Amino acid sequence: MEHVATSVDGMELVYERPSTLTDTPMHYCPGCAHGVVHRVLMEVIQEMGIQDRTVGVAPVGCSVFAYNYMNIDMQEAAHGRASAVATGIKRILPDRFVFSYQGDGDLAAIGTGETIHTANRGENILVVFINNAIYGMTGGQMAPTTLLGMVTSTTPYGRESAVMGFPLKITDLVAQLPGAYYVTRQSVHTPTAARKLKKAIRNSLEYQKQNRGTCFIEVVSNCPSGWKMTPRESNEWMEKNMFPFYPPGDLKIPRG
Amino acid sequence: MIAEGAVQAGCRFFAGYPITPATGIFKGMVDMLPAQGGLALSAPDEISAIAYAIGASLRGIKSMTATSGPGWALMTESVQYALMTETPLVITLVQRLGPSTGGATQGAQGDVLFAEYCTSGGYTIPVLCPVNATECYTLTILAFTWAELYRTPVILLTDKEIAMTAERIDDDVLPNMTAQERLTSKSGSAVGTYDFDFPQEIPAFRPVGGLEKVTVTGSAHDKQGRLQKNTPETLEVLKHLEEKIRWRENDFCVVETDLQKGAESLVVSYGVTSRAAAEAVARARADGTKVSFLGIKSLFPVPRRAVARALKGIRTVFVAEENYTGLYRSVLLPLLGGTEVRGINKVGSMITPQEILAALSEPA
Ligand SMILES: Cc1ncc(C[n+]2csc(CCOP(=O)(O)OP(=O)(O)O)c2C)c(N)n1
Ligand code: SF4
Repeated sequence: MEHVATSVDGMELVYERPSTLTDTPMHYCPGCAHGVVHRVLMEVIQEMGIQDRTVGVAPVGCSVFAYNYMNIDMQEAAHGRASAVATGIKRILPDRFVFSYQGDGDLAAIGTGETIHTANRGENILVVFINNAIYGMTGGQMAPTTLLGMVTSTTPYGRESAVMGFPLKITDLVAQLPGAYYVTRQSVHTPTAARKLKKAIRNSLEYQKQNRGTCFIEVVSNCPSGWKMTPRESNEWMEKNMFPFYPPGDLKIPRG
Repeated sequence: MIAEGAVQAGCRFFAGYPITPATGIFKGMVDMLPAQGGLALSAPDEISAIAYAIGASLRGIKSMTATSGPGWALMTESVQYALMTETPLVITLVQRLGPSTGGATQGAQGDVLFAEYCTSGGYTIPVLCPVNATECYTLTILAFTWAELYRTPVILLTDKEIAMTAERIDDDVLPNMTAQERLTSKSGSAVGTYDFDFPQEIPAFRPVGGLEKVTVTGSAHDKQGRLQKNTPETLEVLKHLEEKIRWRENDFCVVETDLQKGAESLVVSYGVTSRAAAEAVARARADGTKVSFLGIKSLFPVPRRAVARALKGIRTVFVAEENYTGLYRSVLLPLLGGTEVRGINKVGSMITPQEILAALSEPA
């Protein structure tokens, strides 16, 4: 592990990069939730001292370069297949901490089957689900999670339920499955929210240590570029429009 | 221009899933189809996208989907289904660098064989390959014509450079092409879903939800469309699927030939690379070298006659294509007997006219 300085030129260092994050500048758009979630996740891994025992799987999507930032073993899976690849890894290496990190297009569209079956089998992994209600990487098309009325490049007049169906609350579906042990919905738009997410990740990894089954964390996120908003506007829009439909909070917590 | 061509051809149903560099076609259809009374649906993945399009086509609506390599991999199951069920369908495959997710924003010509040989049994699927925006329009219309006439999936094989480059074209010089309507069976005339007397014949189409009962299966079937195992009629249907294309192979020939008298070298190319090849040939001639050119737009069925004609007097054939292994060269090889065959190949970026010129002047 690299040496981390505690003071710089006599001043106290109050904020620093965890050793689990590389110092590569991130490619994410300004204000995007991805970067914050990366950091929070990596802080937990550093604090638990499991950097050398953690394996992550991110698929294509904006997090396609996650391996450049997360200083752990990272795999890039094919679109939709992250939790399936994570399953294979965890089955062979049950003593490692394994997580998948997936966008909503990946997890709730093309990877729906994998998502449901991973949780239904109770695979002992953590699934981090970045829900920004849009396909970010390919330029802002409608995803299954897109809100009604929301304008995207493939719903120029807003999503209409009659033609395009309803936004999918896949986290609620996952919570119904017996194999899902801990299911929660969080966000990172404020420091308080980020701290709550951190707690949820910590809990999930502790449960993983105890072989409890699938832990699933949805992070309701912004996509300033895809939504065509400034970072601040996007966070406000998210609170106003996303939260009523995807309310932050626990959906399933361990009994007792 | 592919979306424009599709609308002109009468396509009224599109289903898609975002993927660079094919998303522009999806977006074009979303923007254009509703005004035509058509429907463009967003699918949760490519497996569903192509299946939606097949469902619409089973009813008699001209349908299309568009994707790139990773999505094509997921679609191949249903491409086979469309072939087996003789469902007209156009699939635009915009090539990008592979294998796997490869490079979303890098062009390539690496899916030539992956596209053509995606069926168990290696059945011939017509493949059209445009070289510019105008051909994106005309060959899309032709793809629909073939799909309708021959009851087959047709692949429009393009690439990132062709699909994502803005080109200026004059509307007035676009050829006026009429749309081919589906050849539907007259009510009460046909006896089964696939009615033919000779293997080469194209059975008249029966839409689902029409007056007659329609049975469709992707399993081996008889002429009624009923699953059967190895009955003589089922084996005849399997033969028919290939024979209906093979028997007409000369009808599928679309090439650009520019032969020079006395030339001993022939440059063969397709898609975006044939633009560089044509340019290289022009420059070589300007320098006094005699060289012929063959640009192939109908990659499959292989235009054998056009190749044979271009080979007269030729000693060396150069096949220029943007892939590492010489995919189409391997297809042409059996037809090029008696000549020396050289590949001009590259991955990651387009082959330049200079690179082709350099290859032409290399000593044997
Ligand atoms: C089989 C397949 N289909 C489509 C794509 C193109 N593609 C790459 S990323 C992506 C979607 C990303 O959206 P999401 O998962 O929501 O993540 P985000 O970019 O928003 O973080 C798509 C459709 C692909 N790589 N493979
Ligand atoms: S496109 Fe959206 S999700 Fe992707 S990095 Fe930019 S803001 Fe984030």
